[in-house]
Amino acid sequence: MKPELLQELKKEPGAEDLDLSWLDEPAAKRGLRVAPGKRGLTLEDIATDSYGDIPATTRNQSGRLRGSAPRIDAQNTPKQWPSKAASWSESAMLLYEEAVQRQWSSAKDIPWEQMPELDENLEMAMSQLCTFLTQVEFIAGDVPGQYAPNVSGEYFEVGLFLASQIMDEARHLDVFRKRALANGIGLLQAGPGAVGLLTAQDFTEMTSTLHLVGEGFVQSMFRMGELFAQSEVDKRMFRLAAQDESRHVAFGVMHMKYVMDTEPERKEEIHTYLDRMEGQLGVGSAQAGLTGGGQTSEALAILLGGGTSEAHLNEGYKKLLAIRKRQVNEYMHRLEVVGLGDRRQRMAPMMQMLLDPPRN
Amino acid sequence: MAESETTTPEQTSNGEQPQAQPAPQPFPFQIPPLDMSWAKVPTERPPRPKVGEDGFTLKMADAGGYAWAPDHWPYQNDTPRGSWPAQDMGLPAPYTIYDKSEVWADNCADLYEQAIKEQWKPATQISWGTIEPLAEHVEASLDQIFTNISEQAYNSNQVLMGWLKEISYGYHEVKLYLATQVFDHARHVEAFRKRALSNGGGLGYQAPGFFNRAVYASFKFTELVVYVNIIRSSFLLGLCEWGDKLGRSQADRQLFENLAHDLARHIAYGIEHLKYYLNANPQHRSHVKTWLDRGEVMYAADLRRDKPLREAFILALGDTVQEGKAKLAELRQHQLKRYLMTLEAATVYNRGDNLVNALKTIIEQP
Repeated sequence: MKPELLQELKKEPGAEDLDLSWLDEPAAKRGLRVAPGKRGLTLEDIATDSYGDIPATTRNQSGRLRGSAPRIDAQNTPKQWPSKAASWSESAMLLYEEAVQRQWSSAKDIPWEQMPELDENLEMAMSQLCTFLTQVEFIAGDVPGQYAPNVSGEYFEVGLFLASQIMDEARHLDVFRKRALANGIGLLQAGPGAVGLLTAQDFTEMTSTLHLVGEGFVQSMFRMGELFAQSEVDKRMFRLAAQDESRHVAFGVMHMKYVMDTEPERKEEIHTYLDRMEGQLGVGSAQAGLTGGGQTSEALAILLGGGTSEAHLNEGYKKLLAIRKRQVNEYMHRLEVVGLGDRRQRMAPMMQMLLDPPRN
Repeated sequence: MAESETTTPEQTSNGEQPQAQPAPQPFPFQIPPLDMSWAKVPTERPPRPKVGEDGFTLKMADAGGYAWAPDHWPYQNDTPRGSWPAQDMGLPAPYTIYDKSEVWADNCADLYEQAIKEQWKPATQISWGTIEPLAEHVEASLDQIFTNISEQAYNSNQVLMGWLKEISYGYHEVKLYLATQVFDHARHVEAFRKRALSNGGGLGYQAPGFFNRAVYASFKFTELVVYVNIIRSSFLLGLCEWGDKLGRSQADRQLFENLAHDLARHIAYGIEHLKYYLNANPQHRSHVKTWLDRGEVMYAADLRRDKPLREAFILALGDTVQEGKAKLAELRQHQLKRYLMTLEAATVYNRGDNLVNALKTIIEQP
């Protein structure tokens, strides 16, 4: 600030009680002029100069956002984690901006008015599948949400991404509920649900179980939605949902990668979380319910096969196995990307059997 | 393929005979007999919706029995309302809120759809190019105000996200609405931070944090709503309504306008929830009074101790210090009026006569 400007201000009538030291000696970096790029004015654009210095550890547990000036009397909230590795994902900024750009409305962006009348068994099966999906989708909002208060303002982009995921999952709960209620059948049989994901005690545990495994498997399934969608309505619904899930999985992969790069000593610990999710502890795998057995898999098999006759079901279960195989192989690929390629030898046997040979 | 068979791969590129690999084991899966017991559950068959120009809304979907949200939700997992509950419920969840009056507002479903319709994109839907260089002290003052707005939004955002797992699944409209509020707050954090960093300035000082702490420390969900959706949102909305006096560019005015639209929804939820809560629990009116007292004390503490923010308002609102001070006093009165109107709408009457002294003082002598 030009000293003469400050002097002028201090001389003004009424300025006797003004301090103005925040102008005179600003404690935060000034002089930034960031212009919008091709994608508008993004978080990456403003993460520049000292505002882009994301510390590996921080004592900022006061809710102060990165780069703003600290107060000497700032109140501490020790539940905020002091380390970047606790929650960081290199893709958080990009994925958040993408999420903001790609929001869709279940009310208006699905062509509900084009909903055809289906064979009753097929409609029943779709309603059952959507009952399952509407049940479990928002757990993927509750789960990351519980860690949001722990994210220091130094890593606020993580918090913003989590908010976008919560918005996505709300839309998924909503769209699958609507689908079940859209064509004369309604909601059907609820299952035990996905509450077990709430037991995660740590952000990395949460990411490995929810993003890497849970959402990864769902994403693989949605991306094959053309196989079991019964109409343009359904295809669009699964396509849009898959798009959202891809962001969640990408966030998880990049967080896990960051942890593996910076805290490689946590590798064995993470394997234990994956052991649990793969059903290796004796408690049923959360993923088994989707494609390995039970009411939802029967519903999927009916949709995939196109009916309930023996021939239809044979075809349906064959395709279901193909979906399962794809899920497992895409999961393995994610593990390789994050640095957990040795999971191949440790995977649950029933899943391991579905693995393609490793790429050389 | 039998276990003992092997396959013989082709020679490798260096001419060596590779070892025969055991054939892949067939996946042991037997197709179960058709069951379809899930199709025979006696859930309600809804009418096929007549989709109009608003599309297939949540309210339309939740027709008949699906619309009924009971006063107490009996299921301890994520069973969707209207579905047939499983005999084996699995793990009981850590939800703590099973009573409708703790979270409900009649306008949730409508606000949810409205929020989606009105979602704006800070990166691309603000006219960033209209921001012109300003006098150094004016830019710095605006940046201090924007820093404060961004921080308040982060606090609301973080804490609200943390509460979602407390709310059981009988009130999905509430969870869906809250998801939109959380996403709104995220965009406010982002948008006002971008503005502070785009015109030769930078971020200002953090807030004293008394009110932030009260938000963190909320014991009850309605308490949180009182702090975030009633007190904070009302005062912020009052500020946005002065956006044309504060803003120096089309971008600034757009930011305040968009924030105002979002806050209007947050306040609408706050009002309807508080009304519902008080109607269902008239004996808890004293709790609401306690929360308002506490919230006002904390809000006043921040206003009293935040010298940079106070001075920033003075410099941003007026061409002279005296004019700025007069305008700040006017702004505070306007914000107070907005707050009291919100409370009246929520059936909390005559709060103006019962404001905590600390808030009354700082409003009268800002």
